[in-house]
Amino acid sequence: MSTNQAEASTSSGITRKKRSARKPKKSQIPLGILLIIGIFTIGYVFYNQSPKLAMLWFFGLAFGYILQRSRFCFTASFRDPCISGGTTITRAVLVAIALTSIGFAGIKIGAEGALDMAGVNPIGLPMMIGGVLFGIGMVIAGGCASGTVMRVGEGFTMQMLSLFFFVIGSLWGAHDMGAFWNKFNENAPRIYLPNAVGWVWAIIIQLGIIIMIYMAAVKWQEKKLGSRD
Amino acid sequence: MQEYELDCMGEACPVPLIKTQKKMEELAVGDVLVVHIDHSCAVKNVPEWARTQGYNVEIEDVDDGEWDIVIEKNK
Amino acid sequence: MNNFFKNLGKNEFYKKLLSEPLTYIAGAVLLSVFQIAHFAIFKSGWGVTSAFAIWGAWLYEAVGGDVSQWGYFSSESMQKTLKAGFFADGGSVRNLGIIFGALLSTLLASQFKIKKIKNLRQIIAAILGGLLMGYGARMANGCNIGALFTALGSWSLSGWVFAVFMLIGAYLGSKLLIRFFM
Repeated sequence: MSTNQAEASTSSGITRKKRSARKPKKSQIPLGILLIIGIFTIGYVFYNQSPKLAMLWFFGLAFGYILQRSRFCFTASFRDPCISGGTTITRAVLVAIALTSIGFAGIKIGAEGALDMAGVNPIGLPMMIGGVLFGIGMVIAGGCASGTVMRVGEGFTMQMLSLFFFVIGSLWGAHDMGAFWNKFNENAPRIYLPNAVGWVWAIIIQLGIIIMIYMAAVKWQEKKLGSRD
Repeated sequence: MQEYELDCMGEACPVPLIKTQKKMEELAVGDVLVVHIDHSCAVKNVPEWARTQGYNVEIEDVDDGEWDIVIEKNK
Repeated sequence: MNNFFKNLGKNEFYKKLLSEPLTYIAGAVLLSVFQIAHFAIFKSGWGVTSAFAIWGAWLYEAVGGDVSQWGYFSSESMQKTLKAGFFADGGSVRNLGIIFGALLSTLLASQFKIKKIKNLRQIIAAILGGLLMGYGARMANGCNIGALFTALGSWSLSGWVFAVFMLIGAYLGSKLLIRFFM
């Protein structure tokens, strides 16, 4: 053994010849605690300006924390089935959509029509082209909008660059949308399912699609990876 | 038994996973691949994929935000 | 001091509470809870990218441009938002929150690291991907969040149509990535 001192056995029994040099670690938890203090101080400043702003600050923090902590990635939910065949994140996104639909339905019904069209987008040519462009962009850049912003917080310089050009692209898109693409949305339908087909059919359609995609996702992963999870 | 290394530092998804998949194909049964990674999502999806393939997987903390994923091609 | 925090970071309870990754399903449930609360409080769902267009307008104004004649920015409310500045715009503040929330999560897990750009390929991918996403999101009136997650939660048929086209894009993007950006 003396000739091969570096050989080490890991707990699962994999034998490695050499290990990467372990650098002396410094805990980042104190920095995290400082950041919490900073976050509440900034929250307090926002609160004095407007309580709504302070709440949005905390909602952003919650979304960022959850996305990072669970490694949630909307990009991966579309990309992984295309590349590796994995669909675990796709299925998690479907669960999120199902839960959100139920919650939003309660709020929308409670508002008695006032919020029916909230979050309902026109189905037009710009949305279709935009969807394809967005899909290509998020896979190449390694993160969608929320993912890019989240990865900036994780320390990715590549995503900082991509965020900058995301902003430039948004400006460009806003210009062309106002000057040209909007024309195609004039007659584009904005369909709020419960108003279009009634709640019973809306539920059948919405949950039916979710369940169908979920089952297809399980089958797809079994076919591609030979395993469900 | 051979040990191979794969440097995926600074790479975001899905690059580490694709590189790992390619590299694993080249390995013979019994070989070990060590993937160096600094992307928190890849630390989740690379081992997940390797487990679906039935390989032995081990994750080691190297430094803050740096990991070695050790995969043994045991079949 | 450092030893105390290092031991704290290794504590099983601390790890469960603040550092080990949550499952995707746990992430989905938590995101839904906050998404629903967001809608209940603000009467609008979560969105990310419309603030980016406003950031773009500020950048453009900073280099001497003027967007007041652009159709997209001409409305009174949009002009007001542009004048009020970054720290008065809810969408911008919420996006800033996402950055700091993610930073907090990595720091408490002691996993923060600046990841440098590795090569020219990454630079081109970031520029091209960023531009495509920015332009695409404005055409589609949102991203994965606004046009997909929020739209679908809102029972808008558009969400499913958007998903189909985004899947086409993701498929094309995957081919491009493997061919040119690996």
